[in-house]
Amino acid sequence: MPSWQNFQPFLVIGLALGGVYALSGVGMVVLYRATGVLNLSFGAVGAMGALIAWQAINSWGLPQGIAWLICVAFAAVLTTLYGLVFGAALAKRDPVVKAVATLGLALILLGVMDLLWTTSGGASRSLTLPTDSSGFQISSLTVDWTQVISLGLGVALTFFTAIFLRVTRLGTAMRAMANDREITAMLGVPVTRVLAAAWFGCGVLAGVAGLLLADLVALDATTLTFLVISSLAAALIGQLRSIAVTFIAAIVIGVVDSMITPINSITNYRDMTPFVLAVIALLVLSGRSTVSLERGGI
Amino acid sequence: MSKHVPLLGRSIAVLAVTIGAIAAVVFSTSGGVASAHKVVARTASSTSSCGPKPGHKATGKPIPVGAIDTKVPGTDFSDIENMEGAYFACVNANGGVKGHPIKLYALTEQITPASVSADAKKLVQTDHVVAVSGSSSIIECSVDYKYWQQQGYKVIADGIAPECYSTPNYADANMGPRFSSDGAAQYVESIPGVKKIVFDQSNVPGTAYNEGGIPPIAKLKGLPVQADTDNVPISNGDSVAERLVQEAGSTGAVVLNFTPPEALIILQAAQKLGIAANVKAWACSTPCDTDFLASSLGSVWNNKLFVNAELTPPDPTHTPTMNLYEAILKQYGKDVSGGIGSFSQMGFVDGEILVHALNNVKGAYTKKAVNKAIENVHQFNTGMLCAPWTYGPYKLHIANHIDYTVTPNNGKMVIKQGCTKISAADPLMEAYYKAIGQ
Repeated sequence: MPSWQNFQPFLVIGLALGGVYALSGVGMVVLYRATGVLNLSFGAVGAMGALIAWQAINSWGLPQGIAWLICVAFAAVLTTLYGLVFGAALAKRDPVVKAVATLGLALILLGVMDLLWTTSGGASRSLTLPTDSSGFQISSLTVDWTQVISLGLGVALTFFTAIFLRVTRLGTAMRAMANDREITAMLGVPVTRVLAAAWFGCGVLAGVAGLLLADLVALDATTLTFLVISSLAAALIGQLRSIAVTFIAAIVIGVVDSMITPINSITNYRDMTPFVLAVIALLVLSGRSTVSLERGGI
Repeated sequence: MSKHVPLLGRSIAVLAVTIGAIAAVVFSTSGGVASAHKVVARTASSTSSCGPKPGHKATGKPIPVGAIDTKVPGTDFSDIENMEGAYFACVNANGGVKGHPIKLYALTEQITPASVSADAKKLVQTDHVVAVSGSSSIIECSVDYKYWQQQGYKVIADGIAPECYSTPNYADANMGPRFSSDGAAQYVESIPGVKKIVFDQSNVPGTAYNEGGIPPIAKLKGLPVQADTDNVPISNGDSVAERLVQEAGSTGAVVLNFTPPEALIILQAAQKLGIAANVKAWACSTPCDTDFLASSLGSVWNNKLFVNAELTPPDPTHTPTMNLYEAILKQYGKDVSGGIGSFSQMGFVDGEILVHALNNVKGAYTKKAVNKAIENVHQFNTGMLCAPWTYGPYKLHIANHIDYTVTPNNGKMVIKQGCTKISAADPLMEAYYKAIGQ
């Protein structure tokens, strides 16, 4: 078993990864609350945005900043387009149908990425951010600015989203939509505009998360597409309602996954972290809701 | 519902236009898929030397040949059969084999044993192939080796699974993950001051076989070996890199056996965390030998990462064979998406060996005659390997067992060590050397 000193770098790595999972998880929860859609294409959209950014830097010779903006803009536009067209068309269908439709988009994007950015012949790519090369020391531990930004964005997003949903008119409209779309529309809320805002916000987060994960994990279509599982687990632990719980769950998933890595006897089981934590949380939460129902009945 | 129909149609159109526009932009640039082909433009060498009658198309009865390659997202070996197909196209356009064109039935498989088995039967029973050449699959050797034995085929492959090297009916242009990892470990243990080897590979079937040669090789110098596995795709490269560096320590060396994208995740994480220099050396089996990887890594890896290379590196080598390979790739290799690299080189070597064997067939191109000719290939100079290549009537085949070591040098892989024989300390190598009388 490694010493605590040896564990410290893994804690920092896990916090950074957890921060990005939180970005994605919170984005999924907000979208679900506003539209009732569990967006399983979140990872694929971010992955494609990141690959386009790589293309922009390496083939088109664009500055990094412009490439990042292209990544975020692509993710935002594609997600908004999907939301306005398919989201509206599927608005009255079951949540499962809506979720599977987003899975369809993810698979289409995965196929397109495999075609355009092939990995055959040993092709491999990477996207590094300038914040990787600078950082600071805490004792013997090196922390780079990408890690700080990842965690910081997760915290900031959770905080501001919570305020946004409570305080602003748009946030209130989103919460109202989550309760009853038709009544909200009858009250004069511009439903299409609110939906577009929710999808747009989700797309922006997908783009940002895609960029950060391409740097922190890998610029690989399959890897980034399926990293959404960790965020999805966090969102499920938050019962697709609580932003704060989703944030905490995402951080815990990132940290546990990372801290298990140096323990050789269980290191190969670390990919199970999101599933195990989600199952435990759902079992505990379902037990609690049963109790509360019974109490209500009494 | 009726309202949804035009809406759905419109939505599909919008998404199609969006994705189409992205595809058009990507394809219209030198990046993405196109970038692979750009690098072959540096030679104007002629392809006419690939056949006996330059400019004369072969018109005889086609010689049917089969190949089965793995092709799934993330693991795609189809460049090997595609390059072999390009080589055959060149031969066919320049006289063929004694006037016969070669027809390649190139199949791909998705790592499904039942379909791999069915593919082999299709090649034999439906396509009536007289030879199997250019196969490269995660599981094909394990699934089909008995079938090829029963049917009397002497397969020319680019192997991965143990059966590709340990059975009588396969001989490979490459040396595969085990012996390539041996080569990488052999190199790092020769570096002064290395006192431990940490070997890490993807957690897939066959890990015990792949790592089996390293402990006896390390034992020659009294070095301890720690063998790890990691699930792929790697979802947390930073943690993996940190663990490997901690395990190896300042006097250790890390040897990786992963596909290029996975190896890149670990190496880049080590670079980003600033821990690449915390170990004595890094090494990698053959898959890392790509300029894609070299160009993605920074200069910190120059003379720090050592990659075992089973085939002659194309860059500094401008031999007639290498020029022909590049010219064929340029003229006929439109389906070879990875361009210059180990995979297309393997396909080229497979094609060379088979054409050499076919030219030695006397009489009709029957299955029996062709496979006897393949088995009789002896000391054939491919121009792509360190040593001449022999099939032979052996119980096991490690036909490619002498290799290079390369290192990144500002975006390119360059030779660090010339041809070096894989150590007989690996018991399987020892058995092969005994079989061939060395």
